[in-house]
Amino acid sequence: MSRRILIIDDEDDIRQVAALSLETVAGWDVIVANSGAQGLLRAAEHQPDAILLDVMMPGMDGPTTFRELRKNPATANIPVLLLTAKVQGPDQRRFADLGVQAVLLKPFDPLTLAAQMEKVLGWS
Amino acid sequence: MTATSPATPPSISDSLNRLWAKFLPETQRRIALLTAASVSYASGTLTDSQRVEAHQAAHKLAGVLGTFGLPHGTELARRIENEFAAEVVVSAADLAKWIDELQVLVDRRS
Repeated sequence: MSRRILIIDDEDDIRQVAALSLETVAGWDVIVANSGAQGLLRAAEHQPDAILLDVMMPGMDGPTTFRELRKNPATANIPVLLLTAKVQGPDQRRFADLGVQAVLLKPFDPLTLAAQMEKVLGWS
Repeated sequence: MTATSPATPPSISDSLNRLWAKFLPETQRRIALLTAASVSYASGTLTDSQRVEAHQAAHKLAGVLGTFGLPHGTELARRIENEFAAEVVVSAADLAKWIDELQVLVDRRS
């Protein structure tokens, strides 16, 4: 089934590899945003099926972006997956406590990222 | 240029290799930043802003190198990240060695 995913990450390389992975391996439509603020606009405009959201971004970071997404009725129900290179247990518990659908770790495998997302989103 | 893994289909492997090449200057810039910070640390001149920049560069490298088929690069970058996060670097020699290893891995992938 075709899905539309919004990737919000300030790092060009991660954004482009994730987009390549989801488009090529899963055949999903991908929209990208390079900041939390841009992500909020794109989410409201495009109504993606899920959002892949980086944690560490300058300006509005991932957790703040997530809270803003939840405040807006137009984006409040879109599942959000946090993407982070922070592998320490306390960090991950803190992120999970935000209420996101899942926390995915960087580095991700471009071949299995879509399958990982399908699994945690209950799409498989 | 090497493929990301033996099981990677050619189409995505080629595309990943193109992205690797595209972002290689940024990867090299981050390693150069780590090298400069390591040299400053060894000479006792590491500034707070240099430490923060080095910590961020190592964090970014840790997040991306494994995605391009360099899991050991991610592991090394994490060690370096932890060193720059701490108030006192455990060993300047180890730090320099890990950064050198990282450089070799990246050069080999290129």
